[in-house]
Amino acid sequence: MTDGKKTIALLGQPNSGKSTLFNALTGLKQHVGNWPGKTVEKKQGSFMRNGEEFIVTDLPGTYSLSANSDEEIVTRDYISSGAADVVCIMADSSQLERSLFMLSDYAGINVPCFLVLNLADVAKDQGKTIDVSGIRNKLKIPVVLMDATATKKYDDFFVCLEEAFNSKAKLDTSLLENRLESIDGYKELKAVIPDNLIPGCSPVWMAVKSIEGDKVVRAKIENSLKGESKTAYVDIISKFDRGALLTGECKFSFIDDLLKDSVTKTETNIKQTKLDRAITHKFWGKTVVVLLVIGGLLLSFIPAVPLMMLGSVFTAIAVPVRSALESANASPIITGIICDVIFQSLANTVKMLGFAFGITLVFGMFEESGIMARISYVFDNTMSKMGLQGKSVMPFLVSFGCTIGGATSSRVIDNWGQKVLTIALAWAVPCGAAWAIIPMLATNFFGWRAVLVIVAILLVMLVHIWITAKVFGGRLVKKEDRYGIIMELPPYHKPKWGALFRYVLGRTKDMFFRVIKVIIPVCLVFWILSYSAGSIEDSILYKVGTAIEPVTKLFGLNWQLFMAFVASSIGKEGAVGVLTALYSQSGTIYGAVNGTNAAVANSTQLLLSNISGPEALAFMFAITFNVPCVVALAATYQETHSAKWTGIITAYYTVGALIISCIVYHIGLLIM
Amino acid sequence: MRSLNELPAGAKAIVASIDGDTRYLSRITSIGITPGCSIKVIKNDSKRPMLVFLRDTMIALNNNECKNIKVEVRGN
Ligand SMILES: Nc1nc2c(ncn2[C@@H]2O[C@H](COP(=O)(O)OP(=O)(O)O)[C@@H](O)[C@H]2O)c(=O)[nH]1
Repeated sequence: MTDGKKTIALLGQPNSGKSTLFNALTGLKQHVGNWPGKTVEKKQGSFMRNGEEFIVTDLPGTYSLSANSDEEIVTRDYISSGAADVVCIMADSSQLERSLFMLSDYAGINVPCFLVLNLADVAKDQGKTIDVSGIRNKLKIPVVLMDATATKKYDDFFVCLEEAFNSKAKLDTSLLENRLESIDGYKELKAVIPDNLIPGCSPVWMAVKSIEGDKVVRAKIENSLKGESKTAYVDIISKFDRGALLTGECKFSFIDDLLKDSVTKTETNIKQTKLDRAITHKFWGKTVVVLLVIGGLLLSFIPAVPLMMLGSVFTAIAVPVRSALESANASPIITGIICDVIFQSLANTVKMLGFAFGITLVFGMFEESGIMARISYVFDNTMSKMGLQGKSVMPFLVSFGCTIGGATSSRVIDNWGQKVLTIALAWAVPCGAAWAIIPMLATNFFGWRAVLVIVAILLVMLVHIWITAKVFGGRLVKKEDRYGIIMELPPYHKPKWGALFRYVLGRTKDMFFRVIKVIIPVCLVFWILSYSAGSIEDSILYKVGTAIEPVTKLFGLNWQLFMAFVASSIGKEGAVGVLTALYSQSGTIYGAVNGTNAAVANSTQLLLSNISGPEALAFMFAITFNVPCVVALAATYQETHSAKWTGIITAYYTVGALIISCIVYHIGLLIM
Repeated sequence: MRSLNELPAGAKAIVASIDGDTRYLSRITSIGITPGCSIKVIKNDSKRPMLVFLRDTMIALNNNECKNIKVEVRGN
């Protein structure tokens, strides 16, 4: 219980409709954070019913209650902590036998619960009939058959919920025990296990986990026992080899007993649709996936563009505000902070959110519809070499367009470490802004050899990704977590646009505050560094830049190039503008980054006459592999929920870009 | 008895036994693969996970790890 409010925990295997139910119940009243001390996402929300507030905790989607991953441990600990008054166990009616495994794994836990047989509509379409009262009589807990997507028809669900709160009914384990008793040694084991050793967990449950070789449970029991009973316990469990198979068989037999007479089953056939055959095709699969992702990226602009235009409103408002402030003789510092920092940050944030909104919507649709699971399948082999899931291919592809989108689309990766690693690697992919300036710069400097520069950049990208995977891989994705894919490929669902839309909108609001928290301080610091009352020479950036020029020259960057490099971590589009401003001594650095400086004639000539070939080459690599932009940094923070890792990745890329620049410069000196 | 990963697409079989550490066994049983369950191979392309159908569900499995799953092939 939380402050006397009634608390429900949602428990179920992936694809049982947990998120759908959670979103339908809580609407926009949800909060996403982390489980204490763990890098597992914690989703909580609340809703009001008959004047009472209910708290809903969405437990991580795991396949069982063993202790093999952080997700499972979090789930288990939360349930036995007693924080939830009632656990809502969810199963997919269209694959009842398999998805009731979670219920069978829960059996023996004494926290009151009720069972939701979700996706009733799909089961009905398959011609299955399910007799709820039969199941309910055997389990002795409330059971409801429902379609979580039909949000108007939740009456039965609420009746069931209230009943569970009133009766505090616990799952009857006798049916499961009948089966367990066939395991040699089960009865003796159960007899030596003390009651109440782990709150909420009965000896039945502890015996099952002991047989399965669950280290946590085994250690707990061993430590609590003494003398003869301890020897007896150790003796019995040492005899079990591959115990999970024994209990697994019992659990499924229990499920069979449960469903016998209650479910009429017509054999479901496997239908592989045309799309499915295309995606999973041996030769064309990867191409189809790449096209789908590119299509998704383009599609995401449809909802994004109107929102992004909203961002320009702030840029537009800044103009009259600036003149008003100037005519009121406000100090240039105040004017600068308001117009350059605050309005510009708001504009960038809103633009980013617009884009993130589109990406989340489209890739959320991929996830909902079942396409994402196919993508995982097709790219499993390639991505698992880096310790990643197949899905991770998507943020990489999206990052060729925009790293912000790449970071945002990593949301579908359900393991935190893999998510952070994916983002860290996706930063190495040159984004649209780099593609907009590098070919142009390269052509100006090197003519047709620009092609070679591009090829070199792509090669460096591959090496960068490889090295970065080595550097961070071990810490983010532990060796013992690198196992092969075992994943359900759910049937295709028609995505529910309305629900998805509302959900994404809610998340976007949440994001606004997180993102603005990162963007304003970073922009403010950069603004202060580049602030000058008169000429550029007054700015701190200039003073530092010229002071350390002897060092940066080693990287092939004179002070102008170095300042443009620093500016490119705010936004790459501005890098050339900064150079132009510095060499022409006009406009401001900050203005150049945000594209508000006046145009300078002959800027190409200006650059060619001031920058040598090797320097230009070094510069191009430096900005390509620098931090993508401040907004991508904010998006990374938003998705990883970790200031620490966002900081580590940022520092790594800044240093990495300088090292690359240094190497390229010296190679350039040799060949040019 | 053969290993699951030796079966071509379309083959049907009954799971006879599964090898592996505690972690693997717990994961494989929790997704529904236990001795005695019948399984149909949907796809078995090299360098791809296997696609199998069991208990009304399509499941992707790491090809190499399927060596651990021993099956008894069943006629149609
Ligand atoms: N037809 C139907 N689809 C559902 C139902 N509940 C969930 N879904 C869909 O099933 C898919 C998986 O649901 P989701 O809530 O993401 O599952 P989770 O993995 O348990 O969080 C989504 O495409 C949902 O729209 C239902 O009762 N009926």
